Amino acid sequence: MAKDARDNWKNPTEFVLACVSYAVGLGNVWRFPYLCQMHGGGGFLIPYLLMLFLEGVPLFYLELAIGQKMRLGSIGAWTAISPYLGGLGLASVVTSLYLCLYYNIINAWSFWYLFHSFQPVLPWAACPVNSNRTGPIEECERATPTQYFFYRETLNISPSIQENGSIHTGQALCFLLAWLITYLFIVRGVKSTGKVVYFTATFPYVVLFIYLIRGITLHGAINGVKYMFTPKMEELSNPTTWINAATQIFFSLGLGFGSLIAFASYNQYHNNFEHQAIIVSLINSGTSIFSSVVTFAIYGFKATLNYENCLERTRIVLLNTFSLAEDSITIDNVFEWIGKLNKTYPEQFAELSCKLEDCNLESELSTAVEGTGLAFIVYSEAIKNMPLSQLWSVLYFVMLLLLGMGSMLGNITAIITPLRDFKVLSCISDEIFNGVVCLVCLLLGLGFTTSSGNYWFTMFNDYGATFSLLFIVLIEVITVSYFYGIKRFDKDIEDMLGHRPNWFWKIMWAGVSPLLLIGLLLFYVINIIQGGIPTYQAWNKDLGKSEQMEYPLFGLVFIGLLSVSSVSCVPLTALYVFWQRRKHAQRHKQQCTVNTVAA
Amino acid sequence: MLEKIFFFLCFPSVLAEMLCQPDAPEGFNVRLSIKTALGEEAYEWNRNEKFFFQAAIAYAMSIHLKQEFSVSDVLVCNETPRVSFWFVVTSPANPLLLIDKANVEMAVRKSRNRINSALLLSDTTMEFVGALPTLAAPFIPATPPWLIVFGVVIGLIAAGIVFLLVSTVVQKKRKKNQKTDEEDDDEEERVKTVENRNRSDGVYNASFSDDEPNTQM
Repeated sequence: MAKDARDNWKNPTEFVLACVSYAVGLGNVWRFPYLCQMHGGGGFLIPYLLMLFLEGVPLFYLELAIGQKMRLGSIGAWTAISPYLGGLGLASVVTSLYLCLYYNIINAWSFWYLFHSFQPVLPWAACPVNSNRTGPIEECERATPTQYFFYRETLNISPSIQENGSIHTGQALCFLLAWLITYLFIVRGVKSTGKVVYFTATFPYVVLFIYLIRGITLHGAINGVKYMFTPKMEELSNPTTWINAATQIFFSLGLGFGSLIAFASYNQYHNNFEHQAIIVSLINSGTSIFSSVVTFAIYGFKATLNYENCLERTRIVLLNTFSLAEDSITIDNVFEWIGKLNKTYPEQFAELSCKLEDCNLESELSTAVEGTGLAFIVYSEAIKNMPLSQLWSVLYFVMLLLLGMGSMLGNITAIITPLRDFKVLSCISDEIFNGVVCLVCLLLGLGFTTSSGNYWFTMFNDYGATFSLLFIVLIEVITVSYFYGIKRFDKDIEDMLGHRPNWFWKIMWAGVSPLLLIGLLLFYVINIIQGGIPTYQAWNKDLGKSEQMEYPLFGLVFIGLLSVSSVSCVPLTALYVFWQRRKHAQRHKQQCTVNTVAA
Repeated sequence: MLEKIFFFLCFPSVLAEMLCQPDAPEGFNVRLSIKTALGEEAYEWNRNEKFFFQAAIAYAMSIHLKQEFSVSDVLVCNETPRVSFWFVVTSPANPLLLIDKANVEMAVRKSRNRINSALLLSDTTMEFVGALPTLAAPFIPATPPWLIVFGVVIGLIAAGIVFLLVSTVVQKKRKKNQKTDEEDDDEEERVKTVENRNRSDGVYNASFSDDEPNTQM
């Protein structure tokens, strides 16, 4: 009986949508706007687009080519290129495993916020009342209601990573739901994934577009957009700008996890992946830019609102202290009055100076936030001030969910595809195998729903994949260019596409990209060494804000394990294969001598 | 005689001035932000509004201390253009005795809602400086609403998974049945062909055949 032929995408569109769904993720929404703001607004686009063409698209093309040619997951594909390099695929699988463990917790938080949006008043809009109904809860008063809702009600966060606490039941339920949905999407492999990506890849754009219209019509949004687009060209002379641009392109495209190889392995042999690689990379970068316009409109709205609230509070303080009539000071002439009052009542004003805040629109706009802080705190704060806030909240968190789920599909496929290539595991049915993988990840990931879970999440996010990926992709590109040979690779592509790749690609693969990657890797390592003991942001409930704390010893050990465990797969597997071959060669020699003796 | 009448007429206002002073220990500072609260429909702060305020406070005191207070028991002084003033409450039995701050505060807290709505203001726009506000009790529903939505979504997802798994099992069974049917057909065919000695099946062992079918030289 013939073995079942490999699953395929029903049509090339499914493959393109799957890649788009995977590449366009939360990083486009919460990392790129931050980088744009930090590195000079519109000017950041120059290093970003340059890196896209020097590094992003060539490496993306490379991974798709390997997957489509070898028609195996990452372990099988690299073993086929060279048996000593099976470890490269294994390193990708391990890194993907770490990613799968912690990524779904973000989806769990999105679900939590989504379900809490179905209330007449959003729970993060106002502080809850304390037990004797005299005022809001103290922790909430010291911080803001949105921060309180995130740190206390969503996470129930502990003061440091050492204090563990118990599992948050609501979180655990949402986490379970996130894994159930992931299982539902991948239960039949590419047959089910292929249908799901039509929705997960396209609907976020609908929401982004709606938010764009809502965003730019908000009061004060134009301040934010202007701030973003005014380029500060002097930032281009800062090397960090270029390095951040390169790193962002690299991680945004999801290179090195093995997901692209896995997706491409389900392609028809003659699929034109060259055009698809360019299209997907451009869509990914375009989405980053598009979402940063939306984010800056929201920033502008929030900053203007905070600034006006600050002015209002100053006005009230002045009115109360000097007992002036209510309509004498308006928001527009607050500063004039400050000057006037300072001259006429200098002593009284001096007493007041500690209570008076410094209201500055620029400083409000320049508070840049990234990551979960942006997605769950800043955005929810902006949403609560919009009219019909429940609707906007639901739309926003549905978008976050789709982006996160789309990326999860790629992550989990990167684990399942290479494992299923092993004959031992391929006899188990699709559904059971996928179910077991999801169950294992669910159980291991429950640790992130405990009180200290957010700190572990940050550790995994910052250290789980960065070093490994840079290393993996560097080895990948060097292997293909020099070990496997550019000429052989050329021929393979010609076999698949019908024409040889342009000289531009070859220069990138053989020269520019490896050099860039070596540079990035060196810079990353130097940064780690120079940075001293790694720190994390711990929530201090007495002060109502985050403060930096150093990781304890077990934390540092764990960070080391995370980085080393995946990278070490490469040399360890090479050694294992070498040892196996030597044993085999020795045995073969013995057998031959026996035979010759017998004959 | 005239002097006595004059003295008795001036006495209350003099008394009021003595009892009601800014920073009086039994007094409260009140700040009203009428224009902020009502915007276009803001009313002028005048004697009539002051009277209304005094009546509301008297009402609150009556409720709390279960004595009959009247408007004249609430003394207001030191009005500013901000619209802020101080007030003290005197006992109905003895106009020289001030009701202590704690009782006034409790009375105001109890009836805060009524006092606010009398003047069309709220907790933020009518500030009793130093008094703690009474916030409305939060409405806690029996089941948290998020759990309801969660239940619906997880129910749908679980149904979807069960449906997919069941349909896979059904499909596999159907394929197996089809295959066993096909295999039966194949076997029959093979039996027939063996009987018919069809040369295209199996390896043809030439040593057992006649040479006749081969063309002779």
